[in-house]
Amino acid sequence: MTSAGTVADDKPETGQPARGQRAADRQVLEQQVLERRSAAVIAGIEAVDPDHVLHLASSTLKIVLAHFIDGPGARPGRRVFAMTREEEGVAIAAGLELAGARPVLIFQDNGIGNLLTALLTLCQPYHLPLLAVVSRRGGLGEYNSMIHTISERTEALLDAAGVRWFQLDGRTPVERWAAEIERAWAFARATHRPVFVLVNLMGS
Amino acid sequence: MTSLDRADVLRHIDSAAPDTPVVLSLGGNAREMLAVAGRKGNHFISLDAMGQTVSVALGLALGLDRDQAAGKVIAVEGDGSLLMGLSVLSTVGHLKPSGLVVYILDNGVYLATGGQPTASADIDLVAVTAGCGWRGARDVSTAAELAEATAWALAAEGPVLIRVRTSQKQLPAGYFLEDPAILAEDFRRWLQSARSARLAN
Repeated sequence: MTSAGTVADDKPETGQPARGQRAADRQVLEQQVLERRSAAVIAGIEAVDPDHVLHLASSTLKIVLAHFIDGPGARPGRRVFAMTREEEGVAIAAGLELAGARPVLIFQDNGIGNLLTALLTLCQPYHLPLLAVVSRRGGLGEYNSMIHTISERTEALLDAAGVRWFQLDGRTPVERWAAEIERAWAFARATHRPVFVLVNLMGS
Repeated sequence: MTSLDRADVLRHIDSAAPDTPVVLSLGGNAREMLAVAGRKGNHFISLDAMGQTVSVALGLALGLDRDQAAGKVIAVEGDGSLLMGLSVLSTVGHLKPSGLVVYILDNGVYLATGGQPTASADIDLVAVTAGCGWRGARDVSTAAELAEATAWALAAEGPVLIRVRTSQKQLPAGYFLEDPAILAEDFRRWLQSARSARLAN
């Protein structure tokens, strides 16, 4: 240990791996968590069997999005497309719901603010069910410093809007995630309202 | 200069498409349609989702085209509301729902809130939709042009857009305060019954 109380980068101390090695190990672990949780989210959405998947770009969702955009989830009879903004997706999904289709929205939580007006003037008052799978950002493990401010308020924003949400993170065994997403779809239909599943893919 | 009032255009749309799903934007479009046509099962009235009329109609057109020969879906949108969600034009152009017909009733202002100007006067919507990949668009400002454009739009492969220049004249029309849940359910039931009738034929 140095006099300042820090650990020198490449000098293991008392059997601990060096900081560089720990960072590398953590990266491997986080990647494994990302892959396992992404696979669970994919399984959950596939269990819902949506005929329309609307998505918005997200680095944490890249495995999930790749599955639907050009992976095994891009199958005949299913439309997969990008919404330009979250509120546009909410409104398109409202039309799809009216037509009896099975849409699922996939996006990141920093877009929650964009969709509140559409959600609260369309889906909520018109009693239109909607399933949104929303990836979490911010908090421990977040690498992008600018995203904490909006993302850490996700639950508060949804609570203020009266939107029902469920959280999937390290407190729920990943083996249960797919079933929980499927249950959230059923819940949206049973309650005739939007339901958001907040999925933490980053290992926090 | 246009010779068309908004109420004339709404009356025309209702008469030309009595059995077609129509998504109406909030404010004057919805209220004046109610004034000239009354409550119609095929009309879905959006009471307050600003800028989202075309998006709702897009979802409807995509959802309904799972059925063969599902027909057209019409959106009746204002210029101000369209500009609140203009990016949907790119989504429509990308997906190309063949049944989608969009009317933009363009009076150049937010009439329902006192006539504040929009930016529509400087926008070439025909060029914008063409640039976004739509299959066609027309600008109209007379009753004859409107009738001809509607005949074209209802027969053409969509998505197509008709921009109708209208005056700023308003019909006296009160607030419409129906429960939105009832509006959605009425419309859904109309869709189901139209589908049943279509399948029976």
